[in-house]
Amino acid sequence: MGCGRAQTHKRLCQDCQRWPDNGTFHNIALFTYNDAMHRYFQQYKFQGDYQLRRVFAATMQQAVVEQNIDRVLSVPVTPTTMQTRGFNQVTGWLAAGMNQTELFTKAKSKAVPQSKKDRQARLQTPQPFELTTAVELAGQRVLLVDDIYTTGRTMRHAAALLMENGAKTVTGLTLAR
Amino acid sequence: MDPRELYGRQVPLTASEAAMLPDNCKLPAMLVTKQLVQCLRCGSQLDRKKAQLPQQQFYCYQCLNLGRISTLTHLYHMPEPNDFPTRPACTWQGQLTEQQKACALTIRENFEARKRHLLWAVTGAGKTEMLFPGITWALAQGWRIALASPRVDVCLELAPRLQAAFADAKIAVLHGRNPEPYQYRQHTICTTHQLLRFREAFDVLIIDEVDAFPFAANPRLAYAVKHAVKADGALLYLTATPSQALQKQVHRGELGISYLPLRFHQHLLPTIKVKLQPNWQQLLRRGQLPRCLVWKLQFYLDKHQRFLLFVPRVKQLAPVQAAIQHYFPELAGLTVHSTDAERLEKVQQMRDQKIQYLVTTTILERGVTFPGIDVIVLGADDEIFSTAALVQIAGRVGRSKERSTGLVWFICASHDRNIKRAQRQIALVNRKGRRLLRATLSPLSTAHS
Ligand SMILES: [Zn+2]
Ligand SMILES: [Zn+2]
Repeated sequence: MGCGRAQTHKRLCQDCQRWPDNGTFHNIALFTYNDAMHRYFQQYKFQGDYQLRRVFAATMQQAVVEQNIDRVLSVPVTPTTMQTRGFNQVTGWLAAGMNQTELFTKAKSKAVPQSKKDRQARLQTPQPFELTTAVELAGQRVLLVDDIYTTGRTMRHAAALLMENGAKTVTGLTLAR
Repeated sequence: MDPRELYGRQVPLTASEAAMLPDNCKLPAMLVTKQLVQCLRCGSQLDRKKAQLPQQQFYCYQCLNLGRISTLTHLYHMPEPNDFPTRPACTWQGQLTEQQKACALTIRENFEARKRHLLWAVTGAGKTEMLFPGITWALAQGWRIALASPRVDVCLELAPRLQAAFADAKIAVLHGRNPEPYQYRQHTICTTHQLLRFREAFDVLIIDEVDAFPFAANPRLAYAVKHAVKADGALLYLTATPSQALQKQVHRGELGISYLPLRFHQHLLPTIKVKLQPNWQQLLRRGQLPRCLVWKLQFYLDKHQRFLLFVPRVKQLAPVQAAIQHYFPELAGLTVHSTDAERLEKVQQMRDQKIQYLVTTTILERGVTFPGIDVIVLGADDEIFSTAALVQIAGRVGRSKERSTGLVWFICASHDRNIKRAQRQIALVNRKGRRLLRATLSPLSTAHS
């Protein structure tokens, strides 16, 4: 259980303890977010070097197939991001057909990018996602994929939405924590 | 944004940045056909697969660090109107030698005729000063000019000198490490990489150290030069060691050429002496140096002669230094390489004459002068030393009026092609230098007879 943060004890970390549903959601993080990872995201996501998706594609896909799930969804980016960056950084890692981003969307474009908000501001943001299609989630075990797990806000909002719409379980998978 | 910032530029803008601009300054950023995916900023023809974004979009992976170009963006450009309110004058007070004056005149004439020209000026000829009359003339015409170099350190060295020589001009200095925003200026100093952001901007474009890495090996930079200068603009290449490619252009008549074969103090270049020593590496592994080198070091110790000892690889620095210290513990010197954290301090100690020698890799080849030194290259036949690098290394010697000669000594296992080419280049300019000396001296000798 918890967010996949690397730590020495087995209790939920401080971030996780803040969340009311901390008993049911858990996230798997493949790597620790360090300087090298920071540089990777600078080049891949912010500079927009889409080729760099290949660096972690195999690792990510392997982690996906290891899960016992019915459906894979990657956390969507805003329409504005799609128009400027031209790709969803999470979808880039996954094999064709593995993810179904279009099922839900990030409704409003963000006034302030996530990375520029402080922790408190991030925790208070309202639900940013909505389902775009009536989709059968009832009884399904969903794997929700994102790039970086920071406070868990994004993940938990998306997970809550999927649970409200009938998902049986939602598990998070992120490249870094 | 201020539309003047688009004069002669080509920059990708976001929709909001471009909102107030007229529609006719919008250009496509990429060319995509069935056969071809090409970036229209850097000219790269891209691998279709590598350049692919989702939903049939493409991006350029070659010029990313200037901000990404893709089919989702446009380039914005306005034609260069030469909208400069003042005409800055030259405030330099120095004097040119007769030969420098002749070269400066040729440069000015080539600017005026808007020609493409190569100036082959030997190391230590004082080529920056020779540009001043031509630049002064061009600025007075209201022309837009740029001085570009492939190397940031060359730009950083040139900028204060040019700014001092044209005190009233505000010179734009553009390179990757400069955080200041771009401003429209009549006079620009920049890295050749930055030229990718210009389109038909300059009436005069000067490329300094044209053969320095990475210009020679990078086709994008040649594209940048071609497109940054106006279609009828003048282009001047400056070099001490022209590449084969440039020499070919001269032979084909695409490029004019003039020579400055004498240094500012009117002396020839020191020639390269080669000593074959096939087993120097084996000796070094045993902690020894070739006997010829040991004798030379003994001589340097006795005469207090300062020197640079070049080696091909960073990993050879420590064993060579250990061997020198084994033979001559009283000889004071240090090792230094490009990523050495104490590089600047060590070079300064050599400048201040606190140490007698430096053991170093290629990094000191350009732009660093220590008056009165000798130069030894151990392993000059290593592939890491290009012809240009060897000529530049040799050019460290004889830079001062007080000691206009000195030893350039290559110790190597074989007399390889790059060494021969370097010797040929030096022989060629020295032949021209001798002719020039005879020509300037002969009127005097007839006057005496
Ligand atoms: Zn946690
Ligand atoms: Zn490009």
